[in-house]
Amino acid sequence: MSEVRKRRFVVARFDPDRDAEPRTQTYEVPCQPDWKVLDALNYIKDELDSTLSHRWSCRMAVCGSCGMNVDGKPTLTCKQAVEGYGDQVEIEPLSNFPVIRDLVVELEGFLEKLQHVKPWIVRAKELAVEAGPVRQSPEELELFTQFSYCINCMLCYAACPVVANEPEFLGPAAIALGHRYNIDSRDEGAHERNEIFRGEGTIFSCSYANECSEVCPKHVDPAAAINQAKFNAVIDWATSLVLPRGGR
Amino acid sequence: MARPAHPHAMAASKPGRTRTAPPRMPPEFPMRGRYRAYTLFDATGLVYLLLGLLALRLAWALGDGEAAWSAAMAGFRNPLYLAFHALALVSVLFVGVRFFRLFPKAQPPKLGPLEPPSAPVILGGLYGAWIAVTLLLGAILAGGIF
Amino acid sequence: MKHLLLRLEPVVWLLFGQGILIGTILLTAWVLVVGLLVPLGWVPADALAYQRAHRLAANPIGRLVLLAIAALPLWKGAHHLRALAIDFGGAQRDTLVAPLLYGVAAVGSLLAIAAVLRI
Repeated sequence: MSEVRKRRFVVARFDPDRDAEPRTQTYEVPCQPDWKVLDALNYIKDELDSTLSHRWSCRMAVCGSCGMNVDGKPTLTCKQAVEGYGDQVEIEPLSNFPVIRDLVVELEGFLEKLQHVKPWIVRAKELAVEAGPVRQSPEELELFTQFSYCINCMLCYAACPVVANEPEFLGPAAIALGHRYNIDSRDEGAHERNEIFRGEGTIFSCSYANECSEVCPKHVDPAAAINQAKFNAVIDWATSLVLPRGGR
Repeated sequence: MARPAHPHAMAASKPGRTRTAPPRMPPEFPMRGRYRAYTLFDATGLVYLLLGLLALRLAWALGDGEAAWSAAMAGFRNPLYLAFHALALVSVLFVGVRFFRLFPKAQPPKLGPLEPPSAPVILGGLYGAWIAVTLLLGAILAGGIF
Repeated sequence: MKHLLLRLEPVVWLLFGQGILIGTILLTAWVLVVGLLVPLGWVPADALAYQRAHRLAANPIGRLVLLAIAALPLWKGAHHLRALAIDFGGAQRDTLVAPLLYGVAAVGSLLAIAAVLRI
């Protein structure tokens, strides 16, 4: 028989119409042993307090919606088992983000940073359809595959001390995705992205905390991407000093 | 309560329709969990800065002549300097190990036709160089060679 | 100032990277022998008596090594102290702090060049 264990969930609450600042509310939740943290939150919403707001969707760690701070650490709540926690679990919205309500954070800032790096194939000249598919070898694919696994869950942003203090820093996921396209053999937009990386994107602000890679649920290793990107950006800068480009 | 983050951290370029609670830093920052090693790593910057300046002072004294050099070297016998250098040694080792751990994955995957060596080879090279240079320079400074 | 700092960032990053890499590799023996073993008397003091020290330093390789030990760690130090300042809420004063720290590193590096040349 399953053993139900009662846990206290101390959950951050914030209603912009009623609260001057965030507060907490504690709920007693009877946790099934196979539950994820998200199950406990849904129990709270369904059975105890329907005013609680939180994001979630796929329940299988691919949509990136349900990221929150659990006991101080950025976590995908649909992936994280409740079993490893103690009698009291603290749930807060992701660090480093403005909070819209309860556990829901403002995403727009991230989406702007993401768009800024042009996370798509950029070609100097589009190929005609008649030219056929662009060929890419398995070796070329392998160079960037890992960085394409990002699900935009933003746990890395919540973990990064530089994101916390430098509003212009592009942040781990955006840089990793920009870098993913820079090293994609089909892409020709590396110079543009490198100029953004060196410019307002300030990727050199990354100070090697490596927290982004520690918390990433998809093993993207954004820290590797950022530091590879720094190197590539310097080479791009050096070559553009010697061979000025005529602009695209 | 976690420290406040920058008031505009992760802010959108246009404000949303409702007011938001300000962003807060990760609760474990600065000295809990893995953030402690990170903060200390940054703090070793002070040690490196002082080491550079002390080496500069020694180099200058060497150019000034015997009296200045002997005085500078004698000054290092002060317990404060000894404590600093002991701390500096620990710092340098800590920085080396942490930096070398990151180094392999920071190499760009492909530079034109060039690929970086595998991580074990890079690490072997780095630690090999570190040990070899330490032994060689140490032997030279301590009077064993030349 | 902000734009100047951004334009210089690649150069600073390279110097900082060498400050860690070359600096750390050279500093280990330096701190051990010059900072601890000789002052403690565990290595005879005449190993670094003036005549010998001068002879070791007064050749191209010696000058280069001494320059690296004096100058490169300054850049690692400046860059990391700047990062530390920002991590503790210093983004706004960065336009004052960064030039100050990098200024110390730059002046120190120039003095280091002068110092090794006059040995």
